[in-house]
Order: sequence, then structure tokens, then C-alpha cells
Amino acid sequence: MGDPVANYTSRLQQQEGEIKLLQDEIERLRDPQELNFTSSQLDELREENSRLKYRLNILKRSLQEEMSQNDNEMLNINQRLQQIFGEAINTAYPGLENPPLTVTPNQQAKFGDYQCNSAMAMAQVMKAKGRKISPREIAEKIVQNIPNNELIERTEIAGPGFINVHLKRMFVSKLLSSLLVNGVKPPSLKKKKKVVVDFSSPNIAKEMHVGHLRSTIIGDSMCRLFEFLGYEVLRLNHVGDWGTQFGMLIAHLQDKFPNYLSVSPPIGDLQAFYKESKKRFDEDEEFKRRAYQCVVKLQSKEPDFIKAWNLICDVSRNEFQKVYNCLDIRIEERGESYYQDMMTAVIKEFEEKGLVQLDEGRKIVFAPGQSIPLTIVKSDGGYTYDTSDLAAIKNRIFDEKADIIIYVTDSGQAVHFQVVFAAAQLIGWYDPKVIRVEHAGFGVVLGEDKKKFKTRSGDTVRLMDLLEEGLKRSMDKLKEKGRDKVLTPEDLVKAQRAVAFGCIKYADLSHNRINDYVFSFDKMLDDRGNTAAYLLYAFTRIRSIARLANIQEATLRTAVETTEVLLDHEKEWKLGKCILRFPEILQKITDDLLLHTLCDYLYELATTFTEFYDSCYCVEKDRQTGEVVKINMCRMLLCEATAAVMAKGFDILGINPVERM
Amino acid sequence: SVDRMERKIFIFKSIWVTVDGKSLMEQLRGEALKFHKPGENYKTEGYVVTPNTMNLLKKHLEETGGQVRTRFPPEPNGILHIGHAKAINFNFGFAKANNGICFLRYDDTNPEKEEEKYFTAIREMVEWLGYKPYAVTHASDNFQLLYDLAVDLIRRGHAYVCHQRGEELKGHNVPPSPWRERPVEESLILFDRMRKGMFAEGEVTLRMKMVMEDGKMDPVAYRIKYTPHHRTGDTWCIYPTYDYTHCLCDSIENITHSLCTKEFQSRRSSYFWLCNALDVYCPVQWEYGRLNLTYTVVSKRKIIKLVETGIVRDWDDPRLFTLTALRRRGFPPQAINNFCARVGVTVAQTTMEPHLLEACVREVLNDTAPRAMAVLEPLKVTITNLPTNKEVRVPDFPANEAKGSHVVPFSKTIFIEKSDFREVMEKGYKRLTPDQPVGLRHAGYVISVQRVIKDGCGNVCELEVTCASSDSVEKPKAFIQWVSNPLQCEVRLYERLFLHKNPEDPAEVPAGFLTDINPYSLTVIESALVDRSVGKSKVFDKFQFERVGYFSVDPDSTSEKLVFNRTVTLKEDPGKI
Repeated sequence: MGDPVANYTSRLQQQEGEIKLLQDEIERLRDPQELNFTSSQLDELREENSRLKYRLNILKRSLQEEMSQNDNEMLNINQRLQQIFGEAINTAYPGLENPPLTVTPNQQAKFGDYQCNSAMAMAQVMKAKGRKISPREIAEKIVQNIPNNELIERTEIAGPGFINVHLKRMFVSKLLSSLLVNGVKPPSLKKKKKVVVDFSSPNIAKEMHVGHLRSTIIGDSMCRLFEFLGYEVLRLNHVGDWGTQFGMLIAHLQDKFPNYLSVSPPIGDLQAFYKESKKRFDEDEEFKRRAYQCVVKLQSKEPDFIKAWNLICDVSRNEFQKVYNCLDIRIEERGESYYQDMMTAVIKEFEEKGLVQLDEGRKIVFAPGQSIPLTIVKSDGGYTYDTSDLAAIKNRIFDEKADIIIYVTDSGQAVHFQVVFAAAQLIGWYDPKVIRVEHAGFGVVLGEDKKKFKTRSGDTVRLMDLLEEGLKRSMDKLKEKGRDKVLTPEDLVKAQRAVAFGCIKYADLSHNRINDYVFSFDKMLDDRGNTAAYLLYAFTRIRSIARLANIQEATLRTAVETTEVLLDHEKEWKLGKCILRFPEILQKITDDLLLHTLCDYLYELATTFTEFYDSCYCVEKDRQTGEVVKINMCRMLLCEATAAVMAKGFDILGINPVERM
Repeated sequence: SVDRMERKIFIFKSIWVTVDGKSLMEQLRGEALKFHKPGENYKTEGYVVTPNTMNLLKKHLEETGGQVRTRFPPEPNGILHIGHAKAINFNFGFAKANNGICFLRYDDTNPEKEEEKYFTAIREMVEWLGYKPYAVTHASDNFQLLYDLAVDLIRRGHAYVCHQRGEELKGHNVPPSPWRERPVEESLILFDRMRKGMFAEGEVTLRMKMVMEDGKMDPVAYRIKYTPHHRTGDTWCIYPTYDYTHCLCDSIENITHSLCTKEFQSRRSSYFWLCNALDVYCPVQWEYGRLNLTYTVVSKRKIIKLVETGIVRDWDDPRLFTLTALRRRGFPPQAINNFCARVGVTVAQTTMEPHLLEACVREVLNDTAPRAMAVLEPLKVTITNLPTNKEVRVPDFPANEAKGSHVVPFSKTIFIEKSDFREVMEKGYKRLTPDQPVGLRHAGYVISVQRVIKDGCGNVCELEVTCASSDSVEKPKAFIQWVSNPLQCEVRLYERLFLHKNPEDPAEVPAGFLTDINPYSLTVIESALVDRSVGKSKVFDKFQFERVGYFSVDPDSTSEKLVFNRTVTLKEDPGKI
């Protein structure tokens, strides 16, 4: 028998040795590099990984190539710079997810042409993650990582970390040449997309009021924007042509024009007709009962009743059309009646999916995140706006296959649409990441007294009256400027309409639609400041430069191909860059549907042009004889480019410029 | 045995005299080869004439001024070997002989196999052989142009994008592609998508609508490889094939004579077809026989095996027949060029034995390698009666003393080759024995053995001799080399690497070439003694060690110790006693 203590000691030592050995082994196994681990599978995976990375890079570049293809479309300089800085930031700080990326044009020449302000925001983001790096250091690293590109001449870092970007003069010059050669072209669309714009949408048998005017002007401009961008646009007039009021109107019609089926009833003033029937409806129980019967018969589509309904609608349609004609609006009427038959199916679908709750006889639907429910069936079994709007959105998604749906109504309906959209998502009709559905709300129109827009007598202003007054005021203004003595009567009328309707539209569009806006003829017809009057004058003046210098259209065409647009003068450079900002403005207004940005841009373009025109001779004339001495063709091309962009801008705003005014 | 050897040399000479007679330049004059004159491509049998051929030839002549233009187009994926030497000689030589120009064009269309080191090595070898390329070009220089031409080829209806997989195209009786007749527009779009990375590797190819001589249908023109290219970086993910690229690069470079080995004969019609399908200038392809050498392997894969298994040290191990190996072994470039000239430019494939090449090497080295004295297995000799230490002047070329001389020390202690002394006389032995004196080359002395000193085992370890001026004594039967106060050097002796003539032939070597290694292919002598005249030599300097062989300074040499490779023995069969 050995000494047990010695035995245990030696066993313990042995075990400790083994533990040490195992620990070392574990440590060794923890580091796969150390293991020198080789396996053919690992090598294969590594190889595959490197090939996939290579392919990814090729694909990324192809995507960029496709995006920047089509030389004849205008390049969005801002977007291109964002791409470049995005890449630079990714290379400089690869780990950063969704790094803040802002590039803006610079107003002051000394800070360069564009500015990237990401460094400050990135410093904040990184600070929040516990990495303290000064914005300037970040800016420096971004600048070091700017990839090779075609447009940046140089950059400099200013202040805390602003990156000022100077563009290559040749690059800007080439873009201008290509703009002149190809015209103002929208960026190409990958896939033809469809937009439904629901706008104007007055109520049958009621007057159109200034609220409808706003919707009509804004909606039309949005349609024009999307049309220019190459979308398929469906302009829908969601008129209020259904409901109990039609029973009362038909009953009244039957009484007043018993032979309405054979002879068209001469309803001149539908407003008065409506008032009369309403009075009877409120006072005469028998009439009221008959009115309800008429509703039932109309809903069951009895031909005589449909005819009566159509007659009434036609009266309104004619009135609306007068307004649309003045404002040059195209729109397809698809009123609430259009969706009647679809509504039952919609209710059934909501019920089947178990989304309907009963509330004191009503059928309601709560959408997630919305405090107000939708009433899809009233307690009397009737349908509501909620029901028809649900049917309409479903129809627009599934039957029209729209990619974008926009509702242009006053902001008062914002909540209603929010709930409708939420319900449509709830039931799975669309995914907001795939289909863009938006309520483009706008504020109310105020009188010059900043109160609700009314006539002096306190009545709502009839739209036609308003337009007539616009025409009158516009003519007064033209005469005041003595234009009636210069222009032919034909041109004078053209100018009158262009100014009148242009001003009304522009006054509306040039204000942020979300705000209320003050309607003032005096302001909108002022030819100073950001008004259509000013822009139209500026435009005709640019157009007249070539004409007054006797430069033929063909000469300009040739010059476009042969003359380089030099941008040596500071004002030429400023104007050139301003012209080329058009695509980024379009991008912005497509994203936020705030058309006043386009107006602001056109105003800036016009004033920048004036600055240029004041300091750069385009045409030199002999002071005595008035004969043309010298033409600076490259400046003439700048005039052309300015006019081309302005014309396209007017086009989108629905303003009709005239050659002479 | 003397007779046998001499007969061998005689036979060898007679072989090359019949083809040799003329110089390489004479052999390569266009008329001698019956090649067409520049611009007269159409006179070549089999050349396809299209309605536009004459215009294209006219334009070609305007661009070249009627100059002969050739190219040496190696793939930069391996080291050049002796077979390439023929191609280099043929292409560069033909251009030179006809006052033309020759391009060195790297056929770098396969990004997976290329490495930068091969590019420099190839160029170095071309220049080593004494040729200067008119310009160094790359097939990849033309990637954009080749792509544009491919688009054009699709437009002309001669190519289509095919979705058949590689494995479907292998073997015999491959069914025609079901995509062969797809609309041009479709192929254009798909080809663009190939370029843009929208397909996986192997998923699609661009194929040419053409049947080759061997019945192979619609060779592939472009395939997808997600691999960067050493020159174009990450620009491309589709790369053109040899079949598509080669003739177009020839056309782009206005090559007049596209010389290639006979294996490419089956691709001649596709060569003509593609140029004509694209309506571009069409050079003439001429084939010549490939040069093969026995007792060696030259394929890249096999050399890699030899290196990996440690049988040879590297690509330039002097037992190999890569050009770098031959240079390291000490083969002068002129010798290789002469060999190529002697092989001739016949169309037949020629298989040569290495000793024919070695004979060319001896021929050149005999005139160019200065003599030196070296003792591989030294035996110390003390001259007991040498009055004073002195210096001996040795001519660099004893046959022509006008070519210079050098001086070596001569002192009491000298070393001679162990085999140059025999304790016991044997009939016919002419060198030193206890009873037979021997002359010391260049020294002017004859030595006679005085005392044989032996070590404990009875081996001779030193001799004490007396010397006498060679004028004063009878002429000895032989003169031997010696060294005094010498340099200690390493000497590497090489033998054939393989035992059999055709190590790759399973009939000769059933277990494969790796089993056919000559165990004595390399002998290293760590401490050979060489006279001091070689002390200042540089890498690749060549010497004839008198009575031993031709040697060349190996790059392994250091300032402390020179290393010599035996280039060739003095005679073909060093078996003489």
C-alpha cells in the first residue's frame, strides 16, 4: 500500500495536467485560422463567394448603366451626386446602415455648385452608436472615397464638414447641348406605370365652388406631370351622382315636367331646382315618401328613373364642362353610381374576412391604428361614402391595375382617406411598398379678408362668375399696358385668356397646397413677383430675342449641333446650372406632389435669366440704326434652353404660354 | 566504342545537312515556303473569296504597305518550352526573313488561368532568343471591339444565345441547339443581359452558326465567367473563346500569315468563316508541324506534378525542357535557334531526340565558352622539386590563341582528378601511374610519381611527385588538367530525367511518367575545385572545363560559392576511358 496522500497528489497533478492540455486544445480549436483548417468544401465555398461578389458588382454597375442610359433624357445631377456620395460613404464607412445622404444645390457661388451635408448627420448617428468622430474627419474620408465620375471637377471641405462640389464646366456644357438637341425629355421609365388621379369631383345638382377649383387645378397639374413622365394616367372625376337626394330631385322633376321622357326639361338653374325640391322634401311628408320610392326605383334601375336621373346629371355636366373648357381640363366622369354594383361584393368580402362589427344596426370596420371606424352599411341598409370609396379603391387596384392612386380633395377629408387606405391594406388589397396610394390634401380658399371666400352678399362664389371676372381683369391689365394697341385682336384675346386662366391656376399652384390660400386677383395679375403674369412676360421676352434679331429657326437648329454652350461668364454658368436642375425638381414634385416647388423653380429660372440677360449681351445692335451688329450664338442657345425648360414647366402647370403678349 | 560514337555523329550530321543546307533565313523566305504574297491571300488554296474580299484586301494593303505581318500568340497560362521555340523562330524568323514585322500577342481570353508572372516570363524568353516584337499586344486589348463585333454577328444572323449546358454539348452526336433559330432581337437582348451579369455561369453561351471540319457544330463564342481579368479588371463577365477571338485579333492586327501548328487545321474553315461572316479582312492560316522532344514532358500539368512531387526543383530545373530551364542549364539561345533551323519548317510533325539539341549546344559553346580547369574529385599532389611558385598563362581558346588568355597560379600543391591516377597500370591507360608520367596541361611540366601516400584504410590520399620541364623529357602519353590554389565550387551534373524515350506513352511506361524518373538524373558535387579564372563570373556565364564538359554559372551562386551546372558533356557519350 502506497501513501494515499502521495497517490492522490499524483492523481491530482495528472488530472490538472490533463485539464491544462484540454484547455489549450479548446483554445486552439477556437481560432479556425490557427487550425489551418482545409477542406475542399470550404475552398469551393470561398471560390463561389468570390464569384458571387464579382457578379454582384457587375449587376450593380449594369443597374447604374441602365439608370443612366438613354442619353437623350435629362440627367438628374443631384441624383447622380447622391449616387456618387452614397458610394463614397459606403466605401468610407461600410458598416453604416442607411447613412444620411443629403446633396443640395448651392445658392452662393463661392460654396461651389452643390453641397453634400452628410458628414454632420453621420457624426450624430455614429455618436449615438458610441463612435466619436468629428464631422470634418468624416467629410475628409468621404472625399477620399469619391469614386471616379464624370461630373465632379473638385471638392472642398468647408466649415464643420460641408463638402462643396464644383461641377465640371465641360460636363454641364455637354448636358446643355444634349438638352438642346434632344429637347426636354423625362427620365425613362423601367416599366410603364399607371396612375389614377381622382380630382375635381363636384356634386351633381350642386354648384362647383372654389374648393372644386383647387382640386381641378392641382389634380390636372399632377396628371400633366405624370403624363410628361410617361405614365399612363387615368383622370377620374368622382362626381357625387348617387344618393337619396336624387329621389327628391326625380320626384320634383316628375311633378314639374311630366313629359320629361319625351321633351328635355329646360332646367336652367339646377341650383334653384334643387332648392325647390329640398324645400318640398322638408315640408311635404307625402313628397318625402314619394322621394324615397323614387330612390328605390332608381336603385333598381327602372329605365324611366334612370332617364330622369340622367337628365338631371346632364344639366350639371354641362355646367361643369364650361369650367373645364375654360381651364383646359380633360377628365373622365366616373361617379359614385359607377361603383354601386361593386359595393355589395365589397361588404361581403369584409364580412367573410371577419372584419365587420355591428354597431347599433350599422356595419362598421375598424382599421388598425385608426380611431374612427368606417361605416360600410348604415342602419337603414344604405351605403355610405365609406362604402363607395372602398369599392372605388378596389376597382382602381384590381381592375385598373393602378400603380399609383392619388386623391385630390381638401384636407378636411384626410382622416376619411386615411381610414379607407388603412382598411384596404387591412383586407390585403395592396401593399404600400408596391402601390402608392395617397391623399393629396389642400387647404381652403380664403378671401382677401382672410375669411372664407364668399361674394359680397355672402353667397358662395359661382366658379363661372369667378372665371369671367378673371377674363375681365386680365383684359383691363393688358389695356392698361397698351397691349391692345400692339397686338392683333386675335392675339389680344389669346393673351387675355392665357393671362386670366394662367394666373388663376398659377396662384393656386404656386402656394404650398397644404396651406389655406388667399384668392386675390390683384396679386395674381401683378406682373412683378412670383406670378404667372411675370413668368408669361418673361417667357415671351425670351422668345422674342431670337425673333427680334432675325435669327431663323433653322439657324438655331444648326447652331445647336455645331456651337458649344460655353459657360465662361459667371451668369452664364449660373443660368446653365439652373436650367439643368429641372430633372431634380421633377423628381421632387413626383415624390411629394407639392407643385409649388416647380413654380418656385420657374420663378428662379426667370430671375436667373434676367440676371444673365442684364449682364451678357446676346445680340448687339447699332444704337443709331438698330441694325444687328453681332450675335452671340452660344448665348442665344442658353436663351433657347431656358425657354424650352420654361415651356415644359408651363405645360406641366397647365399654363398656356403665348408667343406675343 | 569510338567507332560507334563517331558513326552516330556522322548520322546526325547527315540528317541535318539534308534539311540544313540552307540557313534559317533562306528556308523562311516566302517563296521557299510557297506562301502567298501579302495582299494575294485569295491565291491560297482553300481561301474563301467573298464579293467584298478584294476591297478588304485593298484596304489591308493600304494599311500595311504590303508588309509581311506575323504574330507569336501564346496563352499566358504557362511557361514556354522547346516546342514554343519553334513557333517563335518561325513567326519572328519568317517576318525577319521577309522584311516584315512580328507581334507578340498574349492570347489572354481566359481570365481563370492567367497570371502576371507568365507574361513577363514569356516576353523575357522571346527576347532571350534574340527577337524583338514589333509590338506587344493582348487579345484583351480588343475586348470592347470583339464585343461590338459579336453584336454585329448576332445582327447578321450568324450567332445566337444558347441555353444548352456545357455537359449537353459534350460527346458525339450532340443534338443541334433548339435555340439556333431564335429571333435576332431576342439574342441581342439576351447577349446584353449576359454582359450585365443577369445569368449564372454556364447558364447561357453565345454560339456561332457554323459546322467545323470535325463535325463539331456551332462553337461557343462567348461564355460567362465571374472572374476578374488581370488587364480589364472587373469590366467584363463574359469572355470570348479562342475560336472567336483568334482570327479576329489576327484580322485587327492585319496579320498576313497566321502561322500555327497542325492541330489547328480543323479550325481553318471556322477561321475563314468568322472573318467573312463579319465582312472583315481575312488573313491566311498556314499550319506547320509541331516540334516534340523525346525523354521529356512539356505539358504544364505534368511539369506541375514534377514540381509538386519534388522530382524537380521548379519550372526552370535544368533537367526540364522549358526555355527557362534550358537557359539555366546553360544552353545558348543561338543553339536553340540553330536547332529549330535544322528541324526545319516542314509541315510534318517532328520528334527529335535531346542529343540533337545538345550537339547544337556544343557547336555554339565550342566557339564561345572560354576554357578553364576544374577537378571534380580532387587528389592532392605535392611537387617536391618545384623551384618556385609561378603563374601559368592559359589560352581561352587553345584552338585560337588570338581570342585571349588568362593566368592561373601554379605552386607546389596542385590537385588532379582522382581518376587521372592509377596505382596499378592497365593496358591502354595513358595517364598517371607510379611508372607512367603525365603532362600537366598548359603548365609545361611532366610529373612522375615519387611516393604514394595512403590513409589508414589504404586509400590513396596524396601523391608526392617530381616535375620536369616538358621540353626536357619525352612527350607523355597524355596531358591532364590540374588546379592550384583553386576555388571551391558546387557542381551539378545532369542526366536525362526520364528513362524511356516517351515517358507519357502508356505502352512504354504503363504506370505513368512519374514512375519513369532516372534516379541518377542529378549528381551534386559540393566541393569541386575550379581554377581562379572563373572567380569573377556572373550568372549564366559559360565555360568549358577542360576534359570535363561545358558548364554554366547557376543563379544559386553566392559571392562565397559559385555553383556550376553541367550544360553538356564534351562528347555525346562520355564513356571513353
